[in-house]
Amino acid sequence: MDAILSEITNKFAENEDFFIERSELLDVPVFFLGFHSLIDLTKTKTNIQRNINHTIATKASLEDCLTLLGEEKNVEDAALSILEGKLIICLEVDSKCIVTAPVSKPLNRSIEPPTNENVLLGSLNSFTEELEANLGLVRKQILSEHLRSKSFTVGRTQKKKLSLLYLEDSTDRKLVQQVIKRIEANQEKAIQNIQSLAKALGFSSWGIVSKFNITELPQEAVFYLKKGRVVLFLDQFPAALILPKLLWDMFVLESDNNHPAPMMIALRLLRIFGALITLILPGLYVALVAINPEILQIELALSIAKSREGVPYPAFVEIIIMLIVLELILEASARLPKTIGPTITMVGGIILGQAVVEAKLVSNLLIIILAATTIATSTVIGFQNLLTIRLCKYAMVILASIFGVLGIISGLVLISAYLASIKSFSIPFLHIQSTKDEADHG
Amino acid sequence: MDKSLHVIVMYILTHLALIFFVYPGNIIDSTTQGHWAAIFIGVAVHFIFIYLYMKGLSFFPKKDLISIYFGAGKIVSIIFLLPLACYLLMINIITIRAYSEIITIVFLSNTPLWAIMALLLSISTFIAISGIETIFRTGILLMILFLPPVLFVFFASFQNVDWHYFLPLNSDLGFFAKREFYQSFFAFSGGFIFLGFVQPYFSYSRKKILLAAVALVPFFIFSVYIPILTFGQATASLFTLPYVVVVDTININWLMFDRVTMFFLLSLITFIFLFISLIQWKTVRIINKCIPAVNSVYVIVALSLFTYLVCLFIPNWKEVKNLFWWNSMLRFYILIAIPISVYMIGLHSKRGGKQNDG
Repeated sequence: MDAILSEITNKFAENEDFFIERSELLDVPVFFLGFHSLIDLTKTKTNIQRNINHTIATKASLEDCLTLLGEEKNVEDAALSILEGKLIICLEVDSKCIVTAPVSKPLNRSIEPPTNENVLLGSLNSFTEELEANLGLVRKQILSEHLRSKSFTVGRTQKKKLSLLYLEDSTDRKLVQQVIKRIEANQEKAIQNIQSLAKALGFSSWGIVSKFNITELPQEAVFYLKKGRVVLFLDQFPAALILPKLLWDMFVLESDNNHPAPMMIALRLLRIFGALITLILPGLYVALVAINPEILQIELALSIAKSREGVPYPAFVEIIIMLIVLELILEASARLPKTIGPTITMVGGIILGQAVVEAKLVSNLLIIILAATTIATSTVIGFQNLLTIRLCKYAMVILASIFGVLGIISGLVLISAYLASIKSFSIPFLHIQSTKDEADHG
Repeated sequence: MDKSLHVIVMYILTHLALIFFVYPGNIIDSTTQGHWAAIFIGVAVHFIFIYLYMKGLSFFPKKDLISIYFGAGKIVSIIFLLPLACYLLMINIITIRAYSEIITIVFLSNTPLWAIMALLLSISTFIAISGIETIFRTGILLMILFLPPVLFVFFASFQNVDWHYFLPLNSDLGFFAKREFYQSFFAFSGGFIFLGFVQPYFSYSRKKILLAAVALVPFFIFSVYIPILTFGQATASLFTLPYVVVVDTININWLMFDRVTMFFLLSLITFIFLFISLIQWKTVRIINKCIPAVNSVYVIVALSLFTYLVCLFIPNWKEVKNLFWWNSMLRFYILIAIPISVYMIGLHSKRGGKQNDG
């Protein structure tokens, strides 16, 4: 007995919040082990006492009581359970470790509206950090007997729970098997973030397109489940990871279906248009100003030339400087606390809006183009997609500054080819799942 | 799996890429009146041979051209595959050299030729390395992005047409004696060979391909007739790229751009990227089948480097034209001999199969 106790104690002795408390249950001396930070000990003890009092009435022995309280486990598992926030009851006489579910400290937030995605006309719940709560949210959205879930614990020293969800009637069995096989093959690897998860699933970590479609909204996750995708939940990651990700997901939201069909199509076209504008517009500016001004009508060409009067450097340098300032503003406003955030907006607005033009450092037109581009970028669904497009934009600007309009076109070909070459689980990125209730193209 | 859509899209895009540049000039140079006869002979030849070719291929479901020839014996495969590989290599060189020249003429007069050739080649090589499925999927994306502007400009190019120039209708068949007429077959022979290469990856229905070929006929006719109807034969024959000149004359006020040509040409050039990558892929398939030990990625890269070097050594447009003419013989060999041979091998194996069964 002492051996077990000392082994566990040794493991956690250097933690201030670790406790070993001697107590008695039905006059049998026992030890309670656990973390103060995870367990509300007073409440837990009252609970246990109440349970035991209840079972005593039926004249059961302590043995029976303990089996009612929890299950017996070996030292290894018991130590892990302590980390998970369970309470261990060790009997002093007997070499037994019972793992019980205590009253835990309230460490999880409640289910709240999404913080990173906005919902117009749709359910407002969003996923939280707790895995079970997320599964529950999905189960609430989809009342189907075909919903299947499978859990994994991955990592050797740092354990992480991972859950896989799919609808048996609409998902390709091969896809599910492949995903399960890869996760099981990499169960030893530590999966702490999306990048390591992608690596464990066998994706290259150098692709510029994120391999998962990430959503905070149970409604969207269910929409993809119905379309035959697989949903992964990573414990303590408040979003669903949808596999495989397709290009079309950048432009389609489930809540679009709450609008009449013409609006839905118009909205989706708008998003496609937004993505194209982001890619083309900055490059087009460089190409038209620096390399191919002759394709513009003469009045327009003259007015552009006039707006650039006095700007001391080439269009490429001009646009790169401004784009980087813009990226810095975006990044800074994501980093800063909400109270200081508006300062950045204000200062950035002054720089981008007026001062830089008045100082003749960049042209008026460029400011308009930058603004249009920034607005257009944001129409795409999913922040990780937005980053991809933002990055591709630079490739276009560089190509345009060398080859003019030809550079833009070849940039588009290059991006198209790159997108066409991506495959995950032998499903091409450009694949379109045509379900009956959706007019697909693209 | 039936992937006719992918194959049709590829078929149409590669042909569109070839039609609008050299083809009108060749036909206009080959005869002074009744151009329709020259066009129709070309189109008819095209139809007969793609029909034969696809018929022949249909005897071997799930087999590509290379394995068909390999199945027919070593000598047969050398007789047909060696010229085919040479032809593809040459066409690759010619296309890259010619189109980069066109690009410099039309809109990048200050950019050096080597840079444009490097761009064309590197992007095509990238696509070719990613494989045939990527090529076809890229084709679909490019169609969605760039076919609308091409069609728009095509219809807009009727702006200055004078239909009287359609006359006289009678033709004198004198074009049979002209070099240019035979060169015009470039537009027909370039694109169809790939139908024999895609078989194990993509299956397609023959009827749909023929329909796609029918859909291309108006483009063949009007790419020649629009310059004639706009300028008249005498003027149109002065231009190297008559259709491009016509597009340059289009004036659309509400479109803030002055030169619609740019968009038209650039859209077609995206199709050229596809065409080149398809040719590279085909060449590498042949080479790889003969030397299976080498990784195909290295072969593609080596091939593009070789192509680039050869392109650098071609000094001017006249040499391109010469190369184009030397290539004609090979072109007719490919256009005629390959479909017929595939058909014959198919018939033979079918008969042989029947005898074996009996």
